[in-house]
Amino acid sequence: MVRLERAQTPRFRFLVALVPLAAGLGGVLIANIPVSVLGGLVPAPLFGLVPVYFWCLVRPDLMTPAVAFSIGFAEDVLSGGPPGIWTLAFVLTYALLARQRESFAGLSGLAAVLGFAAAATFACAVAYFTVAGLNLLSGLHLPPPVPVVGELLMTVLFYVPATLVVGWLHHRLVGASRSDV
Amino acid sequence: MANAWKIARRSNVQLPLILVVALAVVVVLLGKAQGTLFDRMRAHATDAMAPVLEKLRVPVAGFDRFVGSISEIFSVYEQNLKLKEENARLRQWRNVAIVLQGRVGHYQALLHAVPDPKMDGVLARVIGRANRPFLQTMILDAGRQNHALPGQAVMDARGMIGRVYLAGQRTSWVILLTDLNSRIPVTVAPGNVQAMMTGDNNIMPRLEMVSHTVTLHAGDQVTSSGDGGFLPAGLPVGTVVSDGSGGWRVALLADAGSSQDVEILNFSKPPETPPASAQLPAEAAGLKPQPPPPVPAAPAPTPQASAPANAQAKPKPAAPPPAQTAPTQTAPAAEEDVDR
Repeated sequence: MVRLERAQTPRFRFLVALVPLAAGLGGVLIANIPVSVLGGLVPAPLFGLVPVYFWCLVRPDLMTPAVAFSIGFAEDVLSGGPPGIWTLAFVLTYALLARQRESFAGLSGLAAVLGFAAAATFACAVAYFTVAGLNLLSGLHLPPPVPVVGELLMTVLFYVPATLVVGWLHHRLVGASRSDV
Repeated sequence: MANAWKIARRSNVQLPLILVVALAVVVVLLGKAQGTLFDRMRAHATDAMAPVLEKLRVPVAGFDRFVGSISEIFSVYEQNLKLKEENARLRQWRNVAIVLQGRVGHYQALLHAVPDPKMDGVLARVIGRANRPFLQTMILDAGRQNHALPGQAVMDARGMIGRVYLAGQRTSWVILLTDLNSRIPVTVAPGNVQAMMTGDNNIMPRLEMVSHTVTLHAGDQVTSSGDGGFLPAGLPVGTVVSDGSGGWRVALLADAGSSQDVEILNFSKPPETPPASAQLPAEAAGLKPQPPPPVPAAPAPTPQASAPANAQAKPKPAAPPPAQTAPTQTAPAAEEDVDR
């Protein structure tokens, strides 16, 4: 497969810049296909968070706040929950990663999984407490935390296979990380 | 893993990040205030995905059945015994129901009872399910072009599943009774206790707003009360169970996880028209009209005035005695209903 980055034409550079966004939107789409395997016992993981985490650490020039916003917005539209929840969660997680990039990017092996778990926990916590706040304002019950914890566990469980796919996309389409971008 | 890659230079994203965070907060607030914008987008997205979901439904449903059947293989014998016993019991109840149906029809005819609102149904197929942390929903392959509208009740063969809360052109989303945002006014029988059934993502929704002076019992029947006019009254919902801490929950009759075909009830309550003043109060109560008073020899009334006078004077044909017609009409209908 052609490495698009090697072609220095503006058109290909533009396509390369779209790869993280496309990967994030694809992850959101796959996670939100409303087909329940095992009768809905297993919640769908947040596949859209994996590209945000990956490229925010590896190529922040491609994973911009606007791209994280777009992926979170797509998650909101397709997941059917309260609007804006995952948009805010993804953007704030991006902000956390952007501030602690050196710490997260230095992790490897199991520590890398734990690093992603920390980021996913932060995202789920933001989503939960935002919904809880909105519910309190509306006089509704607090949302039960168990489904959010289930989604967090599934997201972390699927991080390794998802990041393999994202890594493959990165190496084949985007190319190796460069420090001169 | 990440050590293998060179870390890209930190880009100066602080300013747009602040703006994007602010924009995300605006989206949250906007979604709270104007949720219909998101609903329309979701409806369009689901309409576009409908053909794909239809294709995916068959293999996934087969896989679900296969996984479910693995655990059931070991309990086939016990289930068979249980089904035989249940079948015998249901046959007895069928006979009782036929008798009671005839009696109810007889009473309705005697009392001139107002008939139940007309309900049309749209049969729809479940093409998707989503179990998200903040939403439990299913997606049906019927939308506005099939006259499925938000607020309509969704039933399976056993009872109520939920309500349509978002309708696209070809698909609709159903908010399940177990969902956090579901609140249904219900009636608990016997006793005609009014309560509110609220979902909390548990498989058994909570019963709330039950008066403290009322005592519920496990096994009491829960049906929709029809309060507010959003749902028809009398839809079977479930049975009361204790939650072990003094509260009550509802064990739902319907199983949203396994339902494949459901019915969307088009509940259109007809507006109540007041009876004509000439019919009050005797005719409205079902009594025979009094004979008209003798008309004194007076100047001939004008044509405009004569019409109501004639209408009032003209006695209505007496209704056939309900006791003769009701049993013959209701008994076969009861048979049909039960057989169906």
